[in-house]
Order: sequence, then C-alpha cells, then structure tokens
Amino acid sequence: MKVFLLFFAAIFINNFILARFLGICPFLGVSKKLETALGMGLAVIFVMTVSSAIAWTLDRLLISLGLDFLRTIVFIVVIATFVQFVELFLKKTNPSLYEALGIFLPLITTNCAILGVVILNSMMKLGFLEAVFHALGSSLGFTMALVIFAGVREKLEMYDLPEPFRGTAGALITAGLLSMAFMGFQGMVKI
Amino acid sequence: MVVVYSVLLMGVLGFSFGVFLAYAAQKFKVEEDNRLKEILEILPGINCGACGFPGCEAYAKAILKGKADVNRCLPGRPQGVPEKIKKVLEGSSG
Repeated sequence: MKVFLLFFAAIFINNFILARFLGICPFLGVSKKLETALGMGLAVIFVMTVSSAIAWTLDRLLISLGLDFLRTIVFIVVIATFVQFVELFLKKTNPSLYEALGIFLPLITTNCAILGVVILNSMMKLGFLEAVFHALGSSLGFTMALVIFAGVREKLEMYDLPEPFRGTAGALITAGLLSMAFMGFQGMVKI
Repeated sequence: MVVVYSVLLMGVLGFSFGVFLAYAAQKFKVEEDNRLKEILEILPGINCGACGFPGCEAYAKAILKGKADVNRCLPGRPQGVPEKIKKVLEGSSG
C-alpha cells in the first residue's frame, strides 16, 4: 500500500518540478519541442529508476561499513555512469534526439532531481521496492510536467504575445501557473 | 580502517563502472568521420568557447559541416592550428 501511495504522491503531490522545484534546468531548457521533451523524460525515467535501485543497495553497504559520509560522491558516480550509458545508447540509436538534447543530456549527471530522489530515498529510510517506485513515480512526474509544459510552450509560440513576454519570460510565467495548478493536490496524502 | 574501506570501495566502484562503460562504448560504437578525430586532436581541447561554439567538439563538427571557418580558434592560433586543420580538410578532399 505504501508503495502505491509513494508512487502516486511522487507523480502528483510531490512532483519534483512543480512542487519541490528541483530539476528546473532541463524543464526550461528542453521544453521548446514536445518531441525533445518526451525524449528527455524517457532518459530521466531510465536514469532515475536504475540509479536509485543501485544507489539503494550501495547505501546499505555504506551504512554497514560506517561510510555514510561517502554517500553523495557514490550517488554521483552511479548517476554519472548511467547518464554516460544513456548518452552512448542515444548516440547510436537516435542521433537526431542526441543532437536535440545537446548539453542537457550530460547535464542530467548533476541534475538535482535525480540526486534528490536518491538522497530522499536514503533520508526517508525507504525499502528497496519503495525506493524504486518512488523514483519511478518521481521520474514519471518529471516527464509529465515536462511534456505538459512543452505542449503549452509549443502552442504559446503561435500566439501574438506582447514583446516583453516572449521567450523565457512567458515560459517562466507559464511554469508558475502550471505549478499553481498542481498546488491543488497539495496535502492530499501525508507520508 | 575507515580510510582503507573508503579507498577500496571507491576503487572497486570506479573500476566496475569503468568496465561497464567501456563495454557499452564498444557495443554502441558509432562510425564517425575520421577527420573529426583528427581535427579534435589538433584543437587545444580546452573547450574555452572563444570560437563561439560550446566546446572543441562542437567547433570541429561545425568545421566539417562547412558552417565555420578554420581560423576561429583563438588559443590555438600561435601553434598554427588553422593551417593544420586546413591541411586535414584538403588532404581528405584531394
């Protein structure tokens, strides 16, 4: 039961972008086109889920050895490895998406959303299954926010906005409105 | 003892992830234009951005696509980088 609660809470209530304000960099950076946003979201889903599973195991090892202070660096190593793997994989299988994501793909390495998930897993003392589902939910929530935002921004391009609101300014206002919409979910589940 | 464990753990982790990535790099190898590698070796590799591209690799790609001149690398100018790149480009076409 707690697994499902964590899963849905991570998508809607504690959405990483819209409620916790983590991972804003790719949120603004790759949301100009729906297709790139979806690609980025899939990359994040893979990296977040796999690295949180491995990070959970390593976290247990660190605690049993009394090396808690190495937590951050170990997590970063795990995340960086999988980001590199995704980069190699995309370069081979989907070069156009690789080009479109550009610098934002390697930047997932230091994305606070992914590091945030694994550190939250560790702080909330979740079990293995809970940690994996928490990460899966978080990454799905990240993708959902990114895709919704990209859809809005694609439409926004076609409207005749006043000069000061074009581009990033309008995007930031849109992000704020989106975040306010998701505030409606706030407090529905207490974990 | 803590130091030994830390070194051991980080060493093992680094090594195993390195092996994994090396294997993945082999498996997902992409055939690239040989000239890209040659130009990358000529460029200083400091990713200063003075050429107006994000990093030496982006600049090398732009040169190959014909989108950029060979003389945009400021730090490489004293070492004759533009001439060397020109040689690579001419050597392949001629």
